[in-house]
Amino acid sequence: MSMAKTKNLCILLLRLLAFGVTLSAAIAMATTHEKVNIFMIEFEAKYSDSPAMKYFVIANALASVYGLLVPFVPSESVLGQLVLVMDLVFTMLLTSSTSAALAIAYVGKRGNSQAGWLPICSQVPKYCKHASGALAAGFIGTIIYMAIVLCSIHMALNPLLVQKA
Amino acid sequence: MAPEGAEKTEAGQIPAVVAEPPKPLILLVLRLLAFLATAAATVVMALNKESKTLVVATIGSTPVTATLTAEFQHTPAFVFFVVANAVASFHNLLVLVLDFCGQKLDYKGLRLLMIPILDMMVIALLSGGATAAAFMSELGKNGNSHARWNKICDKFNTFCDHGGGALIASFIGLGLLLVIAVMSIITLQKLKITTCQAVP
Repeated sequence: MSMAKTKNLCILLLRLLAFGVTLSAAIAMATTHEKVNIFMIEFEAKYSDSPAMKYFVIANALASVYGLLVPFVPSESVLGQLVLVMDLVFTMLLTSSTSAALAIAYVGKRGNSQAGWLPICSQVPKYCKHASGALAAGFIGTIIYMAIVLCSIHMALNPLLVQKA
Repeated sequence: MAPEGAEKTEAGQIPAVVAEPPKPLILLVLRLLAFLATAAATVVMALNKESKTLVVATIGSTPVTATLTAEFQHTPAFVFFVVANAVASFHNLLVLVLDFCGQKLDYKGLRLLMIPILDMMVIALLSGGATAAAFMSELGKNGNSHARWNKICDKFNTFCDHGGGALIASFIGLGLLLVIAVMSIITLQKLKITTCQAVP
């Protein structure tokens, strides 16, 4: 019985950590803004220029709101049974947002010579560093959510497994 | 209705083996469809290639042409897409085979635990690959005026169409996998509740 309680506490701690990490990822990406003047041409980089970064901010904000609300849901009600399913859905949302933002950031950093797309990181280095920090936080949030789902599945299926006779 | 796979135990003891519910047919059908969708997405994107010959300059009266190709290998996001869909279709095939083989291949009921966990990991991987490819193709279709990246879909129409088809197949596979995972989790939670109530 105490094993279940420690597991519950572990999962609760992981959820609070995930809330913090996803919130910081969303805020860090939303505050990226840099204006640069090169040869009288103004170059401005914001997170809203790219739909992938917008999706990243929205997904992380949703996940942080979810991480804030879930510990207050009673565990055995109808809502409580949905928690595992919603965890899975939010893990999927977070991995997709991190992956999409990483794909666009890769093009921004290395360019794509076959498509004729030049890298922009050399022109707006501060924006690139800021966005990389946000992406790292998003990546950590994804991993924490995956750990939450794994622990929840293990906890849910443990009574069903064969016990060593 | 006696569940399959329940072994006999000594009288008076709590049953020590998980009673696995009979696999409903709909889960198998959904998994077969998901396998077909992800396999189709892999194949279509892996064979995605288009070449175009453009006239670059004219020297005298002979035009100088350059051949541009659009392949999926040029973009890391598409490479990840192909790999993720290949892994997902392989996982679906493996689970289908395991379901048909029945309970012969089992090790202490670990199969019941591993399949939802593997499902979850494949869902995460597949969603990452599909969304990255989706946003990259959106970038190719619309370009990005702020970063001065031109769109390429107006020149390479077939490449974009095939890529779009592969993306749709992949998203269908992802949705089906999500439905399968949710159904198995709900079934197992119901099973846990009935098992806990049956044991005095």
